[in-house]
Amino acid sequence: MRVLVIDPDPARAALVAEGLAGAEPAEVRHAAQFDEAEARRFEPDVVVIAADSPDRDTLESLREASQGNPRPVVMFVDRSAPGLAQAAVEAGVAAYVVDGLSPSRVRGVLEVAMSRFNLMQRLRSDLEKAKADLASRKTVERAKGILMKERGLDEEAAYGVLRKLAMDSGRPLAAVAADLIAFAGVLKGNGG
Amino acid sequence: MTLEKTQVRLGFIALSDCAPLAVAEARGLFAAEGLEVTLSREPSWANVRDRLAAGLLDGAHMLAPMAVAQSLGLGGEGTPMRVPLALNLNGSAITVSRAVAAALRAIDPDGMARRPRSASSLRRLIEQRRRHRAGPLTFAVVFPYSIHNYELRYWLAAGGVDPDRDVRLIIVPPARMVEKLSSGEIDGFCVGAPWNGLAAQRGLGEILLHAAEWWGAGPDKVFGVTRAWAEAHPETLRALVRALLRAAAWADDANNRPELAALLARPEYVGAPEAALRLSLLGGAELGADGADYLVFHRYAASFPWRSHAAWFLSQMIRWGQAPRDADFAAAAEVYDPSLLRAAAADLGLAAPLIDAKPEGAHAAPWRLAEATAPIAMAADSFVDGKVFDPADPLAYLDAFADT
Repeated sequence: MRVLVIDPDPARAALVAEGLAGAEPAEVRHAAQFDEAEARRFEPDVVVIAADSPDRDTLESLREASQGNPRPVVMFVDRSAPGLAQAAVEAGVAAYVVDGLSPSRVRGVLEVAMSRFNLMQRLRSDLEKAKADLASRKTVERAKGILMKERGLDEEAAYGVLRKLAMDSGRPLAAVAADLIAFAGVLKGNGG
Repeated sequence: MTLEKTQVRLGFIALSDCAPLAVAEARGLFAAEGLEVTLSREPSWANVRDRLAAGLLDGAHMLAPMAVAQSLGLGGEGTPMRVPLALNLNGSAITVSRAVAAALRAIDPDGMARRPRSASSLRRLIEQRRRHRAGPLTFAVVFPYSIHNYELRYWLAAGGVDPDRDVRLIIVPPARMVEKLSSGEIDGFCVGAPWNGLAAQRGLGEILLHAAEWWGAGPDKVFGVTRAWAEAHPETLRALVRALLRAAAWADDANNRPELAALLARPEYVGAPEAALRLSLLGGAELGADGADYLVFHRYAASFPWRSHAAWFLSQMIRWGQAPRDADFAAAAEVYDPSLLRAAAADLGLAAPLIDAKPEGAHAAPWRLAEATAPIAMAADSFVDGKVFDPADPLAYLDAFADT
């Protein structure tokens, strides 16, 4: 089975292609854009496409069999697997198949693609969270520094003050630290 | 009247005719109705359709024929849809590359000097190319179920060009049209504003024909929701329609159009050069003809979802083999629900038509619609070939085309 993956996001495309190559005896290619002439040479059985690719509308038009397009292509919706279509839309992926291909084989391809799309989403949000964590740790360090300098505290005591402020106000440590930095700026005449 | 839902997510595609949604958001008209609307810029029409069906969008800016096709289950899984409001009249155009325009001028200078242009000049060019064994010209439209597809096909066929045999027709997303014309991958296209104007301003193409020259006041985009959503959220939908109606009226006022061009140019809306948006909204020499009705949002009862428009779309789906001849015209007409528009117009003290359908293409001159809560000034609405669509007898209309 030949699978063409169209995804403007190259990292995700590679992740999907790698997942498919491991799961199915399939020849997998990926590209950022759908090129009809290239696709005709490769003759894919399944095209897996990211929902954020504008080329989806081009694939929609290949459903009518014609001289230039002897193998009509349809969007893959498997009625025997309820919820699959919904899950695919939510994961942001669609599959187009040559009409008449066995649904069970296509379902396997779509499921791998969906799980890889979800994995990519998780990796990206973990990365965002890690960046945010790093930023909040830096904020706390700066607030501690201000307390140590202005109130002559040692590091442990400065941290204790911040923690108490956070507990008393029921807010995250980083938020309290950010407020303290802002107030210190205002008091020095830097802000406000 | 309590809103069933206040947080609403609406999809749109980057085109000038998303204006009512952009204006309602930017000018606080949704907020004035107690709605918290999030606009979601979508990459493709297929995505709009699927996300509506899956409930990830509450409503969307849609190609009018796409809402009808989705309801009838043409070209995919069917989902019953409701169209309570049209977003605009006209706005699309047919553009060809500079090379094709020059070839047309060489082969038929008189025809090219007349407006509206007939595709018979193109037919002569196609015959010449055939004699020289040149490949077919390639034209792009944006989606199989789009006014652009039917407009281009109608115009080609009226000039003696068979759209399925004499040219190659492909689908290209709106925002990529200009780039593909520039690279030579396509020779022409039919798309909505601002992309025709952008091609003309960049010196890459020439606008051959506007929608308004082909069909004086023809339908284009609509606001659509699923029928299930409409039934579960009647008050929310009425509030949305009121906000969009007020936004459309604001967008149609010539005094507001410079501000509208600047608004739409912002990256979160259309993200195209402001000069191209100004051309589609204010007119200009690059349009090649009078641009007064190039893109209409409110006047001529533009927001009204005419059931005769829905029926006309089905007639063209049959004409071009997308739907069977025994397709259900009543079901197509019912996708459009004028009752909500009338209720919202009454809430705002605006005039609204009292009839659901009208003959299409019957007026060669401006006219007055008397069957309305107050008479409404309407535009000339004839087709380029003078045919009239009677929604009561769509098959007789189809039989009047030689190709069906």
